[in-house]
Amino acid sequence: MNRRVFLLGAAAAAACGKTKPRLNVYNWSDYAAPDTIPNFERESGLRVRYGTYESAPEMLAKVMTGNSGWDVVFPAAEIVPPMIEMGLLQKLDHSRLPHLNVFEGIFRNPPWDPRLEYTIPYLDGTTGILYRRGIAPEPGSWADLWDARLRGKMTMLDDPPEVFAACLKRLGDSINSGDPDQLRAAARLALAQKPLLRAYLNAEVRDQVIAGDVWAAQAWAVTAGQAIAAAPDRLAYCLPREGFARYCDTAAILRESRRAEEAHRFLDYLLRPEVGASIAQAAQTATPNAAARRLLPAKVRENPVLYPGEEALARGEWFAAQTAASQKLRDRLWTQIKSA
Amino acid sequence: MKRGLAVYAIAVYAFLHLPLLILAIFSFNASKFTLWEGFSLHWYRAALADPELVESALNSLMIAASATALATTIGTLAAYALWKRSSTWLAGSLYLSLVTPEIVTGVSLLAFFQWAFRFLHWKLGMHTVILAHVAFSVAYVVVVVMARLRTFDPALEEAALDLGADEFGAFRRVTLPYLGPAVAAAAMLAFTVSIDDYVITSLVAGIDSQTLPMTIYAMARRGVNPMLNAISTMVAVVLGAMVLISERLRSS
Amino acid sequence: MLMTLAVPSAIVCAYSLLSRGAYGGVERPWTLENFRLLADPMYLRIFFRSLWMAAAAAVLCIGLAFPLALFIARSGRRKNLYLSLVILPFWTSFLIRIYAWMFLLRDTGLINTVLRAAGLIRQPLPLLYNDGAVLLGLVYGFLPFAVLPLYATLERLDPTLLEAAADLGAKPLEALFRVTVPLCAPGIRAAAILIFVPCLGTYLASDLLGGSKTILIGNVIQNQFTAARDWPFGAALSVVLMMIALALMWAARRQGEELV
Repeated sequence: MNRRVFLLGAAAAAACGKTKPRLNVYNWSDYAAPDTIPNFERESGLRVRYGTYESAPEMLAKVMTGNSGWDVVFPAAEIVPPMIEMGLLQKLDHSRLPHLNVFEGIFRNPPWDPRLEYTIPYLDGTTGILYRRGIAPEPGSWADLWDARLRGKMTMLDDPPEVFAACLKRLGDSINSGDPDQLRAAARLALAQKPLLRAYLNAEVRDQVIAGDVWAAQAWAVTAGQAIAAAPDRLAYCLPREGFARYCDTAAILRESRRAEEAHRFLDYLLRPEVGASIAQAAQTATPNAAARRLLPAKVRENPVLYPGEEALARGEWFAAQTAASQKLRDRLWTQIKSA
Repeated sequence: MKRGLAVYAIAVYAFLHLPLLILAIFSFNASKFTLWEGFSLHWYRAALADPELVESALNSLMIAASATALATTIGTLAAYALWKRSSTWLAGSLYLSLVTPEIVTGVSLLAFFQWAFRFLHWKLGMHTVILAHVAFSVAYVVVVVMARLRTFDPALEEAALDLGADEFGAFRRVTLPYLGPAVAAAAMLAFTVSIDDYVITSLVAGIDSQTLPMTIYAMARRGVNPMLNAISTMVAVVLGAMVLISERLRSS
Repeated sequence: MLMTLAVPSAIVCAYSLLSRGAYGGVERPWTLENFRLLADPMYLRIFFRSLWMAAAAAVLCIGLAFPLALFIARSGRRKNLYLSLVILPFWTSFLIRIYAWMFLLRDTGLINTVLRAAGLIRQPLPLLYNDGAVLLGLVYGFLPFAVLPLYATLERLDPTLLEAAADLGAKPLEALFRVTVPLCAPGIRAAAILIFVPCLGTYLASDLLGGSKTILIGNVIQNQFTAARDWPFGAALSVVLMMIALALMWAARRQGEELV
């Protein structure tokens, strides 16, 4: 080892040794703007350790141990009540969140956490149908995804709650139904649809819709938004007539965190309209932060894929946690659908 | 027959490398999607400018290198021990680690670490990832080295002992050189399973041990982009160059 | 070290006998309920399919790998280089490799485009999202696991044995099957284990190349630990999987041979 390498190493060690107070943030990937974290570090003097996860169970498996090391996490709305019940989340101190007034309507008082005691809404979206313009039938309802004319050109999401949601809506039931008869009827519908499907695909359907392999796909608004941005004149997105699923991810502080003060500062930073706007633009999805939305360019703000308007959203329904019995039945039916 | 074998080998190499070639080509694609829109170095710049991606690639290489060294050593010794004195228990638990689906290994290792850490006051991190990687790659090493040992004549080792070598000397001077190619092959396998693992790693990783597959899966959840092709191509080229250089050094 | 191998297996067995926690994890009481649920013929079918796929993948891999391993073992000073070339593609991310295959196989993919341009087909061939594609993914992914152990045993094969066989009038192919193949039986067995066993629990190939339209037992288990949040049932499934694998290996071992 020569002297210069040694000096470099020593300098690096010294830099690490200088202990700035730090905050550990565990978020979905692609869920913040590139400058969100650096800007916060600069103005707060805190060091942020930013990790990402790919699925909710992955995050849950870790934080359930109560010793994960993370301070701030971003649970999906439907796992907020269970996390509260398990005692994993800290109560928010609203006096430390001066920007909490940015929300309007449902997000001031969401069903999963009325009064925003534990969580703040972060980003939200819908599940609808992404399709190629001019196909017959042109999708406007879930029932169109059972049309034999689209055989081999359709996909559904590879996600049990989403597939059940579409089938249940087609039957006129709630997406969160735990009724065994309704669930069995939904599974029968899914079984009837399976031979017509090309595959069950999540985000990877995007490239195939753009390339023309797939003509109609059950898709998340964020995926649809990316695809339509690539081929605006060929593709479109609709929220089916029968109703559809809505999702919202939230930000929360773990009970195990011993940095509540810093964590509140971070949450309040996320709530600021200009920060919320840049996050929403980077993530290419909708923001529940009304003040932030007003700052978005008109083209984004009025994009019907992300902000379909109150009338359309009234048909939407939020995902909720399932009871153990209904979850077990759903899983059995899902295995049946998949193995058929 | 020799000619036929060479032609066949080229065909299999093509089969193995075709996807690699495709991903390398698309790393130079100007478009974000898998439609060709012209040559661009954009994704390389983007990949190198992404600190998370670079850090996780370096983490991955570090973890794979340490886990490979440990697993190869432990695995070779374990295979040798099994060859000397068979133990159904050791062999059985090795097999179990091969057959356990990754997610199950991951969840149970996580439970095990959490339980052990209560006494040790540790947290999840780089060390747990390396330990987990050693745990699941050691079986691969044992199986490969064992296959070679089965073709080894114990009389050779006995001869060394008769000539005055002690047991360790006989192992080091006679058995180990014989095992050389198998150990090298086993190390390559261990490195491969380590650098590619996602499921187990994501479960036992701590806050400072994000690996490349974790970053890639996380990005792919919302649609892949050619940045991942760029970083994969770079990793393949760097490792390929290292192999070539070490080969040159050895032959010169 | 033995701890990290044995303790997880013990934990899995314990989990399989517990009850499902409401949101993941496990709770008491202890129960055999999880194994009772397994009696459904649906799971039996899935197990059977998985065994069949894993066996097919192992046979195909070994068949494809054997001549290549022979070629490498006989290529003198270059053999290390050739060996590294086998493994190099696998040092890139699995997911990215699968995406490359998807690009090759899909309707508007490279193979269909080339075939159409050549006028060989009118309609695109359905290459992606079927059992063939899943098998292709498995064979591709596990090929090195066959090449490496086969190479490790072939490399030391004494060429004079083949010369002796030739001197005794054996044709090259005959010598191959009557001398080379039997002598590297330990390598073939090692390869079979390294492919068949992990293949049984795999799930990504059927998800990505099979389009999730068919499932293997690995998918069912994966699903218990993620979407379904039923860890005990997932653990019970994997205990059964482990038992099947061990039993098959036990049965396959030859008289008087050790397990490994």
